[in-house]
This record gives sequence, structure tokens and C-alpha cells, in this order.
Amino acid sequence: MPERFPGLARRLPWLVLALLAAFPLIAPAFGLEYYVGFVRRVLIVAIAAASLNFILGYGGMAALGHAGFIGVGAYTVVALVEAGVSSAWLAWGSAAVLAGLFAAAIGAVSLRTRGVYFIMITLAFAQMLHYLAVSLRTYGGDDGYGLYTPLALGAWLDGAHAQVFYWVVLAIAAAVFALFSRVAHSRYGHALRGVRDNETRMVALGYPVYRLKLAGFVAAGAVAGLAGGLLASHNAFVSPSIMHWTQSALLLVMVMLGGAGRRWGAPLGVALWLTLEEVLKLYTDYWHWPLGLLLLLVVFHAPQGVAALLERRAGKEGAR
Amino acid sequence: MSLFRAEGLVKRFGGLLATDHVSLAVEAGEIHALIGPNGAGKSTLVNLISGLLPADAGRIVLDGVELTALTPHARTRAGLARCFQISSVFRNDSVRDNLLLAVQAQAGSSFRCLSRRDAEHALQERAEALAQRTGLAEVLERNAGTLAHGLQKRLDLALALAARPRLLLLDEPMAGMGPEDSQQMVALIRGLAGETAILLIEHDMDAVFQLADRISVLVYGKVLTSGDAAHIKGHAEVQAVYLGTEVAG
Repeated sequence: MPERFPGLARRLPWLVLALLAAFPLIAPAFGLEYYVGFVRRVLIVAIAAASLNFILGYGGMAALGHAGFIGVGAYTVVALVEAGVSSAWLAWGSAAVLAGLFAAAIGAVSLRTRGVYFIMITLAFAQMLHYLAVSLRTYGGDDGYGLYTPLALGAWLDGAHAQVFYWVVLAIAAAVFALFSRVAHSRYGHALRGVRDNETRMVALGYPVYRLKLAGFVAAGAVAGLAGGLLASHNAFVSPSIMHWTQSALLLVMVMLGGAGRRWGAPLGVALWLTLEEVLKLYTDYWHWPLGLLLLLVVFHAPQGVAALLERRAGKEGAR
Repeated sequence: MSLFRAEGLVKRFGGLLATDHVSLAVEAGEIHALIGPNGAGKSTLVNLISGLLPADAGRIVLDGVELTALTPHARTRAGLARCFQISSVFRNDSVRDNLLLAVQAQAGSSFRCLSRRDAEHALQERAEALAQRTGLAEVLERNAGTLAHGLQKRLDLALALAARPRLLLLDEPMAGMGPEDSQQMVALIRGLAGETAILLIEHDMDAVFQLADRISVLVYGKVLTSGDAAHIKGHAEVQAVYLGTEVAG
């Protein structure tokens, strides 16, 4: 593609961003209002997936408990609303901070293990958080907790437009992607990939490998918590199922479908998976089937994910 | 006083005493070779010194500083760098990226996460200088995994040198090399003698006798004897257990 259309690959993300920004304005003309909410959900899940991609794809940490941090974020919002907080920024910010603290504690223990053990221990911690949420009667326990009044965005934002929350989510998602891309090319990003590719050599080079991994794990946990906070606002409802282990697994599947360790892997995987799910549900109750087939197809024909496939098409072999 | 001392190092694997109270000293500027038959515990000893394996007993001192309790990465920072018997490089990255990652570890914080690393001129210059002196300047942009064996070994050495070590542990730097590559490696190692002391583990006896100021012989996890090349060549027991006909013939 770039040979024929130089610069397209570089401009494409901006084009997509512009389209996404314009979507709520043009959707009514095509009768697609319903899908504004859908795209908003895709964006929020993509934020969570991007944070998982950061530790899985760049850091080589196959965490199977990422939904736990999403849950911590969501329940932080619930707890603050219950306590009378109405500022969205305060609630979402706290969601990120608290999830980051949980990630620090969980990571400090989990990162002493590797491979399958790491997968199992992160899963175990996330399940503990899940059952903790089930036991919290104040916040609805198993039945969940409804957020009946939307959080206030403050100043001129509230009531400026019916879709203000959509643009806020889009801006946050764009900022998160820009940040992760930037970090990927920094000293820290290079060091993190080094740990993924050859941990023993990194140790021998003098890198504090454990601390490097923990920093990435905490950052990813905080961003997942932010996504959880946004998701709580999006659904106006939070229940323990948000951090069921299948949600963690689904997030892993979406990242790998898109391409772990690829800049656009997470959003591509999330968009592809959720769109197919949405479309297939229109036709059949058995929508898991075709999605399973798609997954098999990707595993066998594009094990590096869809992003890698597209990059190869575009002639940017090995680009990250 | 010696630059480096290992005292009474012990390592057990179950019932096997892989390292049996080994004491070694390396003087400043010296190349100290460690030889011994397969299974003598040479690689175990290197792993104990570099910290990749925890020792059951003994202590390690570099330049008056006790390193025994330090983690492996802290030992590297304290001036103790190592090479690997099987080249340990970043195979999917270019030689340049390999070297940048190595020099980055020694130049400021690796937690910097917003500025672009490749735009740091000081790092690029150090990486290129390192490539120059290890003979890798021609292959800077090639993927490390596609390099010939001899070049990969040199890259492995370059990565260790980036740490600006006071003591360099070389675990069989000539392993699997042809005579030509071997001679280049010998020249390269000799060129390092001015800036770092070296503990050299090597099977290639020609190389050892060319390079080493002092040689220690390790047998069954124990140091059998230490001395210069003439002492080792003349040592009856060493001939019996290890050198065999190579020297005699």
C-alpha cells in the first residue's frame, strides 16, 4: 500500500480518528444512532485491551486476570457514587489509581513466577477479586449496582451535546494509544521488549528486570482500571460478572486476534471481535460458532494477528 | 590485593557437589583461564560468580566490595559482566538495537518512557564505537539472528563489554568456531586486556595458552592446580586428567 499511496499508512490512524469523531454527528442521518453506544463500548474495551497488549505483547507477561483490574476500576466508581461523589473525573481518576495499587500488590507477588504459574496466579487473584465483589452486599452483591445518575463531567461539558460522553471516551482512548505508542519507542519500551525476548541476557546486561516488569504491570493495571471506570459509566451498571475470568480470557483472545505486541493489535482485535459478535447476533443465537472458527483461522494463518497480516500487506515487514 | 576473589564457593545439585569449595583470584589486567574436562563444573562456577545461580556457601569480592548478596543485575552494575557459552543475543533485533539496549543499561535510567530512545546521539555513538572495536560495524543493520556463528559470538562479547566491566567472564568464547574466527576472537580478547581483567573458560587449548597469564584447572568441582602455561603443561596430574595427548603430542 505505501508504495502506491505514500503516507497513507501514516495518515490512516488520523483518518480513522476523524471518522470516529464525526460518527455521532453523521450517524442519525443513516439511522445508526444505536451504534454510537456500540462504538463507545468498543473504544472502552480497546483501552483495556491496549493495556493488556502493553504487558502481554511488549512485556511478554501473559496475565489472565486483567478483568480483575477492570473490576476494581468499576467498583471504585460504584463506591464513590455510593459515597456521594458526582465528579466523573474524580471517579475515573480514582478508578485508575486504585487499580494501579491493586496491580502493584498483585504484580509484586505474581511477577516472581513465570509461564503457566504466572497465568494461574494472576487468574487466582482476579477470581479472589470477583468473589470479593460478590460478597459486597452494600454494592448489590451478585445482583450488581445501578448507577442511575450519570456522573458530572463539569463546566460546559454537561449538556453541551447528547453524545458528550462518547467524545470524552474517544479522547481518552486516543490519548492512551498515543501514550503507549510513545512509550514503546522510549528507553523503557525497548527495555521491556528486551525482557520479553531474552530475560537472562537482560539480567546480565544489568537491568533490574523485576522492577521493569512491575512498572509495566502497574501501568497496565491502572489503565485497565480507568477502562473499568468508563465501562461503569457506559453501562450505568456494575456487577461482579465484569471481572469473571472469562472476561480476562476474552480480552486475551481479542489482543491475540488483533496482534500481540503490534501497535494497532488491541483496537483491531477488539473492533473485529465485538463487531462480528454484534452482527452475528442479528442472525443466530449460535454466534459463538463462527467466532470460534475465525479464531482457528487466525491461529493457523495469521498467528501474529490481524495487525501483522495487514502490516505484511502494506510491506512493512516486522514493523512494531 | 587481588582485583577479584571467589572464596570457598560451594554448589550442590541434590547429591552432586558441582562446585566444591572453589577459591580463585584474578589480578587487575590479568587474563585468568579456567580449564577442565566436561562436567568439571566450569559453567556452574561462571553462573555462581555472575549470580544466575545462588551459591550454597562462599563469598565473592570485586575490588574490595562484597558481591555475594547482590542480585545478578546489581553485580553487572558493580563491574562484573559475562558472556554466554551459547550466544545470548536479541535474535529478532538488528545488531544496532542489540548494542543500543546494552549501552542504554549503563547510561542513565531505563525507566524514561516518553522520549524516543533512538534519537539519543550519545547512545548511538557508544553503540557504533562498540561495533567498531568488535568488528561488527559492517553488519550493524542486520538482524542478529541471521548473523554467522562467529559474528554472533562477537556480538555476545560486545553486549558484555557495554557494561564497561572491571572483570569479564567469558564462557567459551571460541566454542564452535573455525580456526579463522578463533584467531580473530583471540586478537579481540587480547585487545581487551588493558581495560578489564578476564576470567576465561575455554576448551581451545591453543587459544588458552596464547592468551592466559595464569591458568587454573578445575576437576570434579575442585581446583586441581593454578599456575602459568609452563606450570600447567608440566603438571603430570593435569596431563593425565585433561590435556592428554594434545600437549604431549
